[in-house]
Parts: sequence; structure tokens; C-alpha cells
Amino acid sequence: MIDSLCDQAAGKDVAVVGLYCDFLAQHEQSTTNILGAILKQLVSRGGIPGYIREAFQKAKREFGGRGLRLPDMVEILKKTITSLERMYICIDALDELVPKRRRELLRSLKEIIRASSNMRVLLTGRPHIDDEIVECFDKAVRIPIVPIQDDIRSYLQMRIDVDTTPKAMDAELRADIMRIIPEKISEM
Amino acid sequence: MLSGRQQVTGNINSFNSIINFITGIDAEGLQIMRWLSPLEPQQRHQDVRTDRLDGVGNWVLETTEFRKWSDTEDGLVEPVLFCCGDPGVGKTYLR
Repeated sequence: MIDSLCDQAAGKDVAVVGLYCDFLAQHEQSTTNILGAILKQLVSRGGIPGYIREAFQKAKREFGGRGLRLPDMVEILKKTITSLERMYICIDALDELVPKRRRELLRSLKEIIRASSNMRVLLTGRPHIDDEIVECFDKAVRIPIVPIQDDIRSYLQMRIDVDTTPKAMDAELRADIMRIIPEKISEM
Repeated sequence: MLSGRQQVTGNINSFNSIINFITGIDAEGLQIMRWLSPLEPQQRHQDVRTDRLDGVGNWVLETTEFRKWSDTEDGLVEPVLFCCGDPGVGKTYLR
């Protein structure tokens, strides 16, 4: 998704940023760090605005050189997004965040969206988080992702092509694999 | 299957962004980047794009829902799109 949007955005003042949620990285992936990673991608393409440098200088002078708090991060993001023509944020595997953090992230996104009509958010995740998304964004559009037979066949073909022991498989077995697996998966 | 030219263009783009990232930023800039967030989602993105099989999942990009979401003027479209599916259906690998 990110790469397709980047292709579309080429040459325009459109930013495409993304983040992959990971259950194993849950200690690092606080809402502030997630939004910070989004902001980082924005400023790494357009340069660091003065107000971010100032906030950094100020934080450095304070005890322990502390990091930004969530409300400050939200404000800085809003400000930075305003300077763009459009911005796409893709957040993958939202279900891998712990529920409390997921709600916090959704609420922060809602706040940013309210201030930024040029922003689009794409979320992916397992169906069980649907209710939480609807709670924050009651008109969110859903696309159910299901594996289609053609895609499964291309994938199988690729795996067969790189198989390290191709002689273990005769033409009949190969044909069975290509026929039965796509059928079974699409019945699931 | 993989198209050679697309693959090469993709690699050049990613090299360019890495070079910009390294050269376009001063020492304080690097400190600021770390201060903003320790997360580096670009690394995971490189892994995903390397493993992705071109063409797979492209039907999603052709759906009316996706097109509307990505193309419609600001204010006339719901800004949030949710691609939902069970584990392993390929959500991460949509191009």
C-alpha cells in the first residue's frame, strides 16, 4: 500500500508514511513513539521545521532531556501536516497493539484528523478490532481482505520455482498442489 | 511475477531515500530524530517489500473503496479505511 501510494504521490507535495505494529515490540511502541515515528518520516523528507528544533532545545535544557508528551506530539503533528498538500498514514497490524494503547492511538488519530482534512488513514488488522475502530470512526470504510485463487496460484508457482529439491516432485504432484491448495484455501 | 524494471526502480528509490536521509540532515537533526522516536519503521518496510510478490493483492488497489479513499478531494470522503482480515491473508503484503 505504501509503495503504491508513493508511486501516485511522486512529484506532488504528498507524504506517505507508515508503521508496522508488533506485539513483540510493545514496550517500545508507545503511542507517543508511534506518532513520533510518523513525524520523523515527515520531517526526514521535508527538513526539520523550526518549531521542532525549538521544542528539542527546550526539552534538552530540562531535567534529563525528556521526550515529548503525547499531547505535545499530537500538536506538533497537526502543525506539520498542515504544511502538506496531502498525507497518507498506513498503520499495519493494529491488532498487535495492546487494547489500551490501541484506543489511545485511535483517539489521537481522531484528534489529528479533526484538524487535518488533508489526511487519510489506512489501518489493517484482524476483524475483532472492528468495534474499536467504529467507536472512534463511525463512518470508516472497510475492505475485507481474502486471499483470491489467482494470487495463491502465483505464490505457489513462485515457491515451486525456488524449491531446493525439485526432483522430489513429479508433474502430477505439482499439478495437484496448484489445483487443490487454492481450492481449499478459498473454501476456508 | 517480478518485473525486472519495477524491481530496479524500487531499489533505486529506496537507495535515494537512504542517501537523502543520511546527507540531508545535520548532527542536531540526527539527535532530534532519535528524540522524536526510537522506532525505525523503514527497516521493516524494506523487509516486506523484499519478500512481496508483485501482483499479489493488487485487486485491493482496484476496489472502489480504495480508489475513493486515495483519490477523492479532501472533505468529500471518509478519511479512514480499514483493511480487515484473518491472520495470514496477506494484509501486510498489499502493495
